[in-house]
Amino acid sequence: MNNAIKEGKGPISEAWKLFKESNLGKTGLVILLFFALMAILSFIPPLIDPMYHPLKGVDPSISVSTPPSLRHWLGTDFMGRDILSQLLAGARVAFVVGISSALMSIILGTLLGMIAGYWGRIVDTLIMRAADIIMVLPTLLVILVLAALFKGLSIWSIVIIIAIFRWPGVSRVIRAQTLSLKNRPFVDAARAVGAGHMRILFRHIMPNVVPLAFLYMTFRVTSAIVIEAALAFLGFGDPTTVSWGMMLQWVWKTGHMFKAPYWLLPPGICISLITLSFYLIGRAMEQVLDPRLRRDWEG
Amino acid sequence: MRIWRFLLRRLFQVGISFFIILSLLFFLLRLSPGDPYSKYIDSDMTTQEVEIIKSQMGLDRPLWAQYLIYLKNFIKGDMGISFYYGKPVGEVIRGKVFNTILLFTTSVIFSALVGIFLGKIAAWKRGSLLDSFLTFSSLVTHTLFLPWLGLLLIWLLGYKLELFPLSSMYTPEIWLDPEISFLRKLLDVLHHMFLPFLTLFLLHFGSYLLLMRNSMIGVLKEDYILTAKAKGLEDKDIINKHAVPNASLPVITSVGLSLAFSINGGALTETVFSWPGLGRELVVAVSQNDYPLAQAAFLLIAIVVLLANLLVDLLYAYLDPRIRYE
Repeated sequence: MNNAIKEGKGPISEAWKLFKESNLGKTGLVILLFFALMAILSFIPPLIDPMYHPLKGVDPSISVSTPPSLRHWLGTDFMGRDILSQLLAGARVAFVVGISSALMSIILGTLLGMIAGYWGRIVDTLIMRAADIIMVLPTLLVILVLAALFKGLSIWSIVIIIAIFRWPGVSRVIRAQTLSLKNRPFVDAARAVGAGHMRILFRHIMPNVVPLAFLYMTFRVTSAIVIEAALAFLGFGDPTTVSWGMMLQWVWKTGHMFKAPYWLLPPGICISLITLSFYLIGRAMEQVLDPRLRRDWEG
Repeated sequence: MRIWRFLLRRLFQVGISFFIILSLLFFLLRLSPGDPYSKYIDSDMTTQEVEIIKSQMGLDRPLWAQYLIYLKNFIKGDMGISFYYGKPVGEVIRGKVFNTILLFTTSVIFSALVGIFLGKIAAWKRGSLLDSFLTFSSLVTHTLFLPWLGLLLIWLLGYKLELFPLSSMYTPEIWLDPEISFLRKLLDVLHHMFLPFLTLFLLHFGSYLLLMRNSMIGVLKEDYILTAKAKGLEDKDIINKHAVPNASLPVITSVGLSLAFSINGGALTETVFSWPGLGRELVVAVSQNDYPLAQAAFLLIAIVVLLANLLVDLLYAYLDPRIRYE
């Protein structure tokens, strides 16, 4: 489906050349690098002084929310914790949640999509019906109900549940791709020389569908980050992690939203910008993989 | 005739999907840690109330019998008694459905229409400054974090500029006063609705705009557009009569596909603005461990989503005759 990659001496450098043409894609990448830097820097503040620990560190001389100062560049929250260190730690949480959940959901989606497309019949029907049902369910609300049933979810349970609810989109695309691949000559040839189902699926079909699955990864990252943030905002996040959604919940629940713009603005800007950056990168990758879209987005 | 068969088949599918959701919820409730008794029985209840609930739900019977009782109760519309309100769940929820549908449908329909309209312009003026502006602002608004946008709007337009009320759906003083005309009361609701509506609108119109723009660009390359131009039609007619009907089809599909996303957003918006709808009721019920209420709110939302999906499918079938004959 992609000439540039097929011809290319180095498919990755070819793709990169195409990606670079997209200004929006580059913008996304720059924003993303900034957040990656934040995530790396998040390890530093607690080393400087224990009071900069994002969750447990409390400035002994402060017991209310204070505006930015030299000691606390972005101010402190309602109990004297440093907002900047929380913001940095939030970047780390966003990456962990977004990437691990997205990886899991595309692995699940790829496997189920390949199985549905390859086996067909009843297996196909079952998997695709399940996908249809999951697709119409509002993920956030389902996780809310689960959070109530299981009395508080840890960050990893949240990640896994998000992944379980985000595979159908991927599996539909992979299934369609598998359907078109399974009758190609190279698969027939493999079957003729005696390759089993597993070998055909994993050695012959999978390498052809995986790039497509990765295209869907960036969009899964954004949705995982947003769902975790929303869940934390509503008060059902993991209380042992500091995510941006959690910070917003603190501002909101402690009634600081009218008094402390220095506290309300940063986490929201971060969630919105990281979503935007993954979204822009996803768009640019779509253009790289699908020539029909090229130069259509930016005019 | 075919459209009826199509409708029947889709209704049947909706029924099956809902049955599966209903059953999954039952088993999840029973399988989750902690004994099932504790979930339906609040510590504040009297022993008499506890007995009623036990016999109603058959909590002393085997699992399959409980399942049948659960289905029977659901069909009778008897979803138990809310712990928090102390009233039958159905009564609590009935009033909220309309509020959710009011806020949700107006914002989804309005943002889709504006998205289609602006997307059309962006595609036609492709490459212009206006196009870049529209595309860029859709990308940015579409990726904003919804609750945060809501809080910002409350802070800016509600608190600082005092243009709109900060929360809720109506002013009790106005609604309880029998002297005040109905029109005035309606205006009061619209006044309260503006900020939550604006939040949902800002978040949604961008994705429709981008989709419409892209689909329009594809359609404008088609031969029949060239034919229309060759016939000497005016630009306005080419766009509105030939390009837009075809280009809006993918947008309508995406309204259907993004319904789940919009419902999530709806629940968050309702919570931030204390809008008395189903989504907020679910969030509150969950945080108060009000299981019967949470369960009923969730099931009702599932019904709303499934039916809304069906509606979008029907609209699609109506607009695109090819679907009906598949």
